Amino acid sequence: MKIIDKEDLDSFVADMIEKGEKEVVGVQEKGHKYAFQELKRAEDLRLDYDVTMLPPKKYFMPQREDLLEYEKDEDLSLEGVNEVVPRIIIGIHPYDLIAIEQMDRVFSDTYEDEHYLKKRKESVLIGVNMQEVSEWSFAASMGTATTDYGYDLMLTDLGDRYAIEIGSSKGSDLLERYCVDLKEAKSEDIESVEREKEKIKESFEKEFEFSPESLPWLMEQGYEKKEFWEEHAEDCYSCGSCNLVCPTCYCFDVQDISDLSLGGGKRTRKWDGCLLESFAVVASGENFREERSERYRHRYMRKGKYLYDMFGDIACVGCGRCSSHCVPDIADPTVVFNELMEEVR
Amino acid sequence: MSKKPKAAIFDFAGCEGDELQIANLEEQLLDLLNIVEVVSFREVMTEHSDDYDIAFIEGSVTRDHDAERLKRIRDNADIVVAIGACATIGGINSIRNTQDHEEVKQRVYGDKGDMFESWDKAKAVDAVIDVDYKVHGCPIDRDEFLHVVKSLVMGKEPNIPDYPVCVECKLNENVCAFERDEFCVGPVTRAGCDACCVNEGTICWGCRGLIDNPNEDAHMEVLEEYGLTPEEVMKKFSLYFNWQEEAREDE
Repeated sequence: MKIIDKEDLDSFVADMIEKGEKEVVGVQEKGHKYAFQELKRAEDLRLDYDVTMLPPKKYFMPQREDLLEYEKDEDLSLEGVNEVVPRIIIGIHPYDLIAIEQMDRVFSDTYEDEHYLKKRKESVLIGVNMQEVSEWSFAASMGTATTDYGYDLMLTDLGDRYAIEIGSSKGSDLLERYCVDLKEAKSEDIESVEREKEKIKESFEKEFEFSPESLPWLMEQGYEKKEFWEEHAEDCYSCGSCNLVCPTCYCFDVQDISDLSLGGGKRTRKWDGCLLESFAVVASGENFREERSERYRHRYMRKGKYLYDMFGDIACVGCGRCSSHCVPDIADPTVVFNELMEEVR
Repeated sequence: MSKKPKAAIFDFAGCEGDELQIANLEEQLLDLLNIVEVVSFREVMTEHSDDYDIAFIEGSVTRDHDAERLKRIRDNADIVVAIGACATIGGINSIRNTQDHEEVKQRVYGDKGDMFESWDKAKAVDAVIDVDYKVHGCPIDRDEFLHVVKSLVMGKEPNIPDYPVCVECKLNENVCAFERDEFCVGPVTRAGCDACCVNEGTICWGCRGLIDNPNEDAHMEVLEEYGLTPEEVMKKFSLYFNWQEEAREDE
């Protein structure tokens, strides 16, 4: 563990921006909310944020991206497109780091998705332990309030200085390249970091009333509780907001966009969401999840069981973005899962 | 469809803003004319022909004369496309649909109201003739218009979103209007505009009309929970949704 004075952290960040070898991204204010955005000045970095509107996943799986370009004369010619911007991403909370670990598995497990993986490989992740906790978050229940993995560097605020944990050579290279004034952490610094982490785990208002490890069982039991899902989904807009802000949702829609000559064009992909009415419509017009309640239930099945069955991960990291973005306020996983547990017991 | 389909653009009760969007395609206009032949477009050309494959209709329908003219267009065209909110959903013309017609006429024409024929309700084009496709918006989005033209020329179904504007606000990482203590109808309004109004810091007024299956009850409840009176809620819904609401009630 290393120690850096706060003002030296500022010059570390400023140096990365100035040298411009990689694009520097950090958490900044947007309206009265926060977002990961390109950092132009070190002083705009807000490491004391609660939660960003979108997770940093957007840098590896952009909202919209081109996959290939095609040209059709006598033959069809195809050329793959992958716009990779190497980035240093500063200020990722533990739950988002764990979500990125899950996405790494999703995009490399059965199929190597080079659009995701190349962007991911070219990125350096600098995490930060939470200084503010979102009122919607329940990360402690999910075991994601702190993390020992998933970062290249991890920062912890210790008042006048930051502790830096090194997670990879990508991280240590960065320190060597840009950081001038690093000190070794003393035993009291290491204890302070541990105390901070324990303090964070106690800071959540929302929590699960049972261990999330029993979610796959709960979802299996709860699947047939038709009335429960209908009642909870009654006010659902089917707007997909809960999907689109989720750090572990990864569905996308692929479309070919022709240019005006009609001879060529590009293939693109865009984020999609299983709450949207057209999500499960197939070519014949059949919709496999026509009812709001079926789509609503499906999201919880994905988070609590289906992805667990595939990859071994409970696909909810407790960031609380889904519930904070839900206008009718029906998407809080702690409410839904706790109430379902009551129902099933 | 023939190699280079013939297209005609017609206007009814509206501000011609959608036609202006087409005229404003500027550097793309010549490429567009390579794939369709425009035979009638009163706003930008004097020539006119009744021989066309695709008819684009702007404006809402407000009198018998309009309805007759529309039926002739329908007979001439293989494909009819309504463009812009007035044509697709009645648009702001149908704000008056819930008001006293005599008062409306008085407000607009003063004591000369009797000289003008007008239905007491402004209607969307598909209330009078069959419409094959709709390019929504007030005004239309130029890229979406081009997408529809390209699709029709290639014989493909145009891809028009049937999800709410919330989707595009999330993709653009906009701060939700409700989080800014404002109120919008984005959660029940059809996307496809890239949430352009909210991107600029305002709200969604609903110009692209209701999605096919909006959860209006939930949205009205939410608006009231956020402190709007029932009258204010109705006002939010009546700027663009009047005609659609009536059509849904008639179903």
